[in-house]
Amino acid sequence: MSGGIESVTPGRRLGLAEEYEAGSGTYTRNGMIYSSILGTKVVEKAEEPKETDSQSKPTLYVKRSNAKFAIPVIGSEVLCRVVRMNPRAASVAIMMVGSTPCQEDFQGVVRVQDIRATEKDLVQMINSFRPGDIIRAEVISLGDQRSYYLATTKNEHGVIFAQSAAGNTMVPISWEEMQDPKTKDTEKRKCAKTF
Amino acid sequence: MSTNVVDRRRVNGPARSVEPLYTSADTAESFVNGREDKRTLDQVRPIFMKTGPLSAQESELSLSATASAASGSAFYEQGKIRISCAVYGPRQGRKSNARMGSFDCDFRYAPFSCSWKRRSHIKAADEKEISLMLEHAIAPAIRVEAYPKACIDAFVTVIESDGRAATIAAAINCISAALADAGIEMYDSVAACSMGLRGSQWVADCTQSEEDVSSCSVLIAFMPSADEITYILQHGKSTPEQTDQAVQTCTNLCTRVYAVICRYLQSSLV
Repeated sequence: MSGGIESVTPGRRLGLAEEYEAGSGTYTRNGMIYSSILGTKVVEKAEEPKETDSQSKPTLYVKRSNAKFAIPVIGSEVLCRVVRMNPRAASVAIMMVGSTPCQEDFQGVVRVQDIRATEKDLVQMINSFRPGDIIRAEVISLGDQRSYYLATTKNEHGVIFAQSAAGNTMVPISWEEMQDPKTKDTEKRKCAKTF
Repeated sequence: MSTNVVDRRRVNGPARSVEPLYTSADTAESFVNGREDKRTLDQVRPIFMKTGPLSAQESELSLSATASAASGSAFYEQGKIRISCAVYGPRQGRKSNARMGSFDCDFRYAPFSCSWKRRSHIKAADEKEISLMLEHAIAPAIRVEAYPKACIDAFVTVIESDGRAATIAAAINCISAALADAGIEMYDSVAACSMGLRGSQWVADCTQSEEDVSSCSVLIAFMPSADEITYILQHGKSTPEQTDQAVQTCTNLCTRVYAVICRYLQSSLV
């Protein structure tokens, strides 16, 4: 990291695109890098000269002055709460994208065929999620008019927090089951791999 | 009895018609020697602004607290004009375009904002028109491709107005500040300025009383860094040369207003 504190406003010219890599909060026009948000200018030196011929340039980015509100894009990992379900799909409210909270919930849908990667035809909605569960999922498409399409096919995606019928927080005991530590009842879920 | 019957189904014109009163050039000329508030002809009224009066503070940010607060806001004063603007978003849009975000604007006059008449709380036709104008003036500055399927809403309330064109220009400046406060990705901030034609002379940033005697008004919204005009609005008649002159002067004034906005935004960081 280098460079003093320089506050910039949207549209402020920051440097030449030849000399710097455009990072977040910037855009490039006519070979120049401009700021697109209000914040402070930061120049980050390239970590290691890469082995390839392309010379690595320092990255120019603008550090936000205010909290960022994320929006889901294809491929982003999201945290959501299951709102309602039917045998074909579960509606969820997307609460976080990556590690940034959304200002307001976005609506998402996990279709039954997007829950598991294998034996898709045997997957049953009711054995995978319940309303109120918190799930980690990936955005696979911007979807229809209203909702984003999500998938939980990866191992690390699925239910990460669920309460049993008795109201206790359950712990995963297999890929497909969660157990209430008090009543010892098991319920079926598509569990996320714990890290 | 039959003579008292009034046709209530149709709009009846007045029984007697009179010729409308035209402002003649020479009566307007008499104002040229000075302005009420001692400004020069190309001077805008002093600007005051503050960002963040309606948005959540950093410390209050949590999943539950953010839902009701705006993501960015601004209060703007220019002479007697007072405007507040709240920006919400990026949030889930109602009308969605999968690849691009959309920008919506809602412009309202407060019931007490216009000195010559009380505004209705029901949205009037001119408020809808101005909302659309603001959308067109601001939208080119927003990097909509950074917000797929999302919607950014701006709610503008005029608390006090003084000059129609000047109020719209002030609203544009206010939205620009609020968008920057919200951290919305933009190509540039939009600055706006208006002028009125008094006799044969352009007068910058007309107040209501000045606008009443001007025969033509021009409003320019301008992105100084990108060197692009995003919106031109003209009311009334002027020669092409006069319009050209107004556009030139207005863009210069916009650059000055832009500098004021930028200087404020930068100072708000520290």
